[in-house]
Amino acid sequence: MATDGASAIREAFAKASGERRAALIPYAVAGYPDVPTAHRVALALVDAGADLLEIGLPYSDPLADGLTLQRASGQALRNGQTLERSIEMVARVHADRPDVPLVAMGYVNQVIGGGDADSALRKLAAAGASGLILADLTPDEGADVESAAAAHGLSIIYLVTPTTPPARRRMIAERSTGFLYAVSLAGVTGARKSLPAGIGRFLKEVGAVSPVPVAVGFGVSRPEHARRLAPLADGVIVASALVDALGPDGGDVERMSALAAALRAATQR
Amino acid sequence: MTATRDRIPSPARTQGSAASTAPRASRVLDEIASRRKADVERELAGTTLHELARAAAAGPEPRDQLGRLLRPGLHLIAEIKRRSPSAGTLGDEHLDVAGRARAYAAGGASAISVLVEPHWFGGSLDDLRAARDATSLPVLAKEFVVDPRQLLLLRAAGADLVLLLAALHPRARLARLVAQARDLALEPLVEAHDERELDAAVSSGARVVGINNRNLRTLVVDPELAERLRRLVPDDLLVVAESGVRDERILRRWRAQGFDAALVGEELMRAGSDAASVRARTAALVEAGRPPSAAEDPTAADRAPFVKICGITEPRGLRAAIASGADAIGLNLVPGTKRALTEEEATKLARLCREIGGAGAGPTIVGVFADRDPAEVDAMARRIGLDAVQLSGAEAPDALDAIALPVAKVLHLSDAVGPDEAAAAVASTVERARAFQGKPNLWRLLLDTQDATVAGGTGRRVPVNVARLVARQVPVTLAGGLNPENVAEALREVPATGVDVAGGVEPLGDVVGRPAKDPFRVGLFVKRARAARTDLPTVESRPHRVDHSLVEPDPRGRWGRERQFGGRFVPETLISALLDLEAAYVELRQQPHFWAELRELGRRFVGRPTPVYRADRLAAELERRAGRDPGGLRLYVKREDLAHTGAHKINNALGQSLLTRRLGKSRVIAETGAGQHGVATATACALLDLECVVYMGAEDIKRQAPNVLRMRALGTEVREVTAGSATLKDAINEAMRDWVTNVATTHYVLGSAVGPHPYPALVRDLQRVIGDEAAAQVVAAEGRLPDVAIACVGGGSNAIGLLSRFIGEPEVRLIGVEAAGEGLTARHAAALAGGSPGVLHGSRSYLLQDADGQVQEAHSISAGLDYPGIGPQLSALYDAGRLEILSATDEEALDGVRTLTRSEGILPALEPAHAIAALGAWLAGTTLLAELPDRSVVLLGLSGRGDKDIASIADRLEAHGH
Repeated sequence: MATDGASAIREAFAKASGERRAALIPYAVAGYPDVPTAHRVALALVDAGADLLEIGLPYSDPLADGLTLQRASGQALRNGQTLERSIEMVARVHADRPDVPLVAMGYVNQVIGGGDADSALRKLAAAGASGLILADLTPDEGADVESAAAAHGLSIIYLVTPTTPPARRRMIAERSTGFLYAVSLAGVTGARKSLPAGIGRFLKEVGAVSPVPVAVGFGVSRPEHARRLAPLADGVIVASALVDALGPDGGDVERMSALAAALRAATQR
Repeated sequence: MTATRDRIPSPARTQGSAASTAPRASRVLDEIASRRKADVERELAGTTLHELARAAAAGPEPRDQLGRLLRPGLHLIAEIKRRSPSAGTLGDEHLDVAGRARAYAAGGASAISVLVEPHWFGGSLDDLRAARDATSLPVLAKEFVVDPRQLLLLRAAGADLVLLLAALHPRARLARLVAQARDLALEPLVEAHDERELDAAVSSGARVVGINNRNLRTLVVDPELAERLRRLVPDDLLVVAESGVRDERILRRWRAQGFDAALVGEELMRAGSDAASVRARTAALVEAGRPPSAAEDPTAADRAPFVKICGITEPRGLRAAIASGADAIGLNLVPGTKRALTEEEATKLARLCREIGGAGAGPTIVGVFADRDPAEVDAMARRIGLDAVQLSGAEAPDALDAIALPVAKVLHLSDAVGPDEAAAAVASTVERARAFQGKPNLWRLLLDTQDATVAGGTGRRVPVNVARLVARQVPVTLAGGLNPENVAEALREVPATGVDVAGGVEPLGDVVGRPAKDPFRVGLFVKRARAARTDLPTVESRPHRVDHSLVEPDPRGRWGRERQFGGRFVPETLISALLDLEAAYVELRQQPHFWAELRELGRRFVGRPTPVYRADRLAAELERRAGRDPGGLRLYVKREDLAHTGAHKINNALGQSLLTRRLGKSRVIAETGAGQHGVATATACALLDLECVVYMGAEDIKRQAPNVLRMRALGTEVREVTAGSATLKDAINEAMRDWVTNVATTHYVLGSAVGPHPYPALVRDLQRVIGDEAAAQVVAAEGRLPDVAIACVGGGSNAIGLLSRFIGEPEVRLIGVEAAGEGLTARHAAALAGGSPGVLHGSRSYLLQDADGQVQEAHSISAGLDYPGIGPQLSALYDAGRLEILSATDEEALDGVRTLTRSEGILPALEPAHAIAALGAWLAGTTLLAELPDRSVVLLGLSGRGDKDIASIADRLEAHGH
């Protein structure tokens, strides 16, 4: 059995909290724009101050994603990115930066479509991932994936959204291990100029029912967003804005690092 | 419809000082009542009760008041009134009452209502007499009855029915008036206009209850009041809706909701004064109340139950059963039971039955026996002249061998089956049923409760849980404890193919001596039973001899023996919308008026039912090419290409658009591949005034240009999708992204039987009309179901629509034809033949994917089949071996288009052309399927017409011309 992903994640949140910060959770797309650059991107994000790192598993039908991540995902697949290579990236990043928990993010068919959930999850855990987010998996359909994850010490992170009825929010939070992903808005991923109205109340309600740390994501793009959210959530997730910062060819790692550092500074409470 | 609250005119004929001030609306009823009271006192001063009674007894013979209302459908009670407080003057002083009554009768009204009140409505007993003398219809006296003596006056004048207002009387007095009226053979119609009054009306002893949409105190019309209150009236009463009729639509709704009549006044009085106009308007309203005919809806008869009235003991009950249209009557020949007849009595009744029923037209005459020597039963049956025999005892299957006639066998169940015993009770009952099914002369199986101490039925209900599970496996006629009040519900809960009743149609209360039937209850029982499933196309109405998991999903939307297909794999944002959709649909699915409205739209707007066409030239051509002798194949083509907008897609688009309005949403999104679903949705949205956005892959926009133009012409925004393969799959992704973002205002009209629960079931329910109609049409032509039902499959809405009806009929082979594109070893769209289970678009089903679970791009010349997945129910059917598959390549499909076009003059879309090509290959024996025997009856789904494809295939068709 691999190391316990949930406790690694918990510790990362606790460390940030001890430093009076919301945890910063940036996102890198495996294999985008290419395998070596993607690796550099991941290390740069960690070095800029990531408390946890999400690694996106490119998928053919990313229906929860906006244009930025669709394009990045599509580009990676055209370059020949496979699940095996994505898992390799997890392993390499984990080897290079073992202190930062890695959370893979993808779609359910990537773990159950090729066969049973067990084999994909075993490989992910062996590569050093601490957790897994599947954008189109809810606890209603999650029993099989959860039990495979538990067997391999991976935490399963579910999402709650503003449209989730209150009673369901508690159920989802209780089924999440590691942390709970609070989706800031009804919509797909993608950078946005401003935070949605009502985000404060939503996070307060979710925080009140969640036994695990709550990290907020979707549309969180700018340092001022992070500054505003830091007191409201245990963690802040930024994805599309960082991929955008890489520029049209995906290679501007410096610019992305600068944004990541600014975001990190903004998470201070 | 807006509430009408018109100026209230004062009484026309005035007495004393009341003339100067118009009464306030809230007091109209009270004023009319007190005025009538004074009138009666004045008019009857000096007349003794005895004189009145004698006049009433000497009145014209009462006419059959309720017989017409007991026939199927909603009937029209057409009213004559000169004016009213709410409407003002409706007819001039010289109103031709007799002429109008004749026009009503000629138009098909079932009764005539005549206003008798003089001051506010300008009526009189003279009007009543004139109307009654002019026709043979029963006449309802529309009077404000405040004194029992009015009943005598009305009966003396010839009234057949009388209105009693619950609002005017305390409960006890109301009940007394009802009893007095019925004693006079003056049938009371007790009218209520709120819940409290309705409760009083229902318990008044009246057999006819009216619900008036007009509040009599405020005169405001609330057209939905009757609909809301209908469910509070038990089904063993006749129910009349009053006021608020402006068009036929409301009558159709009321008919579907179980009203027996509508009382219409103002609308008819305003129809004009010439007889032709009045007759035409009357006929239009009468027509709207009729249940759909077999031509309008061939599927309803397929769900209608067989009805047997058992334990007939005397001629009056027999006549009632025959008049009701019951399929069979039972004569009890079990000595010692309540309704037992002697052989002589039974013989007389059987003879009378044939006399009344006419040769070959009356009900089947069934003799009921229990535990008697079969040879003796056979001999006695011959002597009496029975058509069939019912064995109600503990007979063994071999008992049937000695009886020549068809036999109905009663299977007894204990009426106290606990939850733990249910499974065992079901299993043993089904086992017994199967033993009897082995006998060639078994006619029907009856399911009844048993009681060791009483031979025959106990009159108690069979437990629903057990009955349902038995009826899903073997065809049963439900017996025991049924009556007019509960029979419809029983038929909706239990997929029985028939019902049997004895005690439930006898008078309520204790009976002395041998029971006789109550003709009213007999008529109402048959009416309620026949109507129970008329407007519920999704209710189970017969057994299905396959595992239930292939027919319906579990509560989580899972299909298949291990419930391994379907489900709800979507981003959390969509879950609440899906839960809302599911809840709304679960409710709507049981609302007859939703389906009635949809069917009516289907009929008038879409052109349903679409024909089934016997394509002899196509069949011969396919046979010739296959090297078989032409004339062996009987090929029926279901012509969905003739539906409005040119394909089956409109069935689903219209249904979901109606549902959108029900959800309170104003915006619709849809995806489209071939453009047919987009056009259908755009069309439905134009009709129902909804904003519509359609997502379409850039690739499909190119190859289906005419449909893009059609959508735009219909006011729909077509959004191009360039992501991924830029085809249907990506259009669905993009539609889901839109839905995630706009879920509060938007309903996603998914076009295929795919997607997260409840979509696969919802789309299937809306498309099953294809196969339901086709089954009835093939049975009408061939006397039996087809041997094969074959349809092309992309996502599968056309296929599941055609095949649903036949899933539970194992002798019908189900064939899905997938698009093999450039060949099954090259690029194709055959999810079953070349895919594996995984998750696509929200549900687990077969799809084309690689070892990483990446969805692979499909390929087909036909945009409608160019999809890498297939719906979960079809996946489950395939996995269980119930669905067989074939495929056709692009080239073969083109050949299919050419073959049908040239042989029959029907230009099909590329999608169904795959099915034609595959059928040809099957006939030729070049497929892996077990051979198609000669003389087979094949039903082929022609899902759409080929106009949309003509540009892309024209040169290839011409090049191959012959």
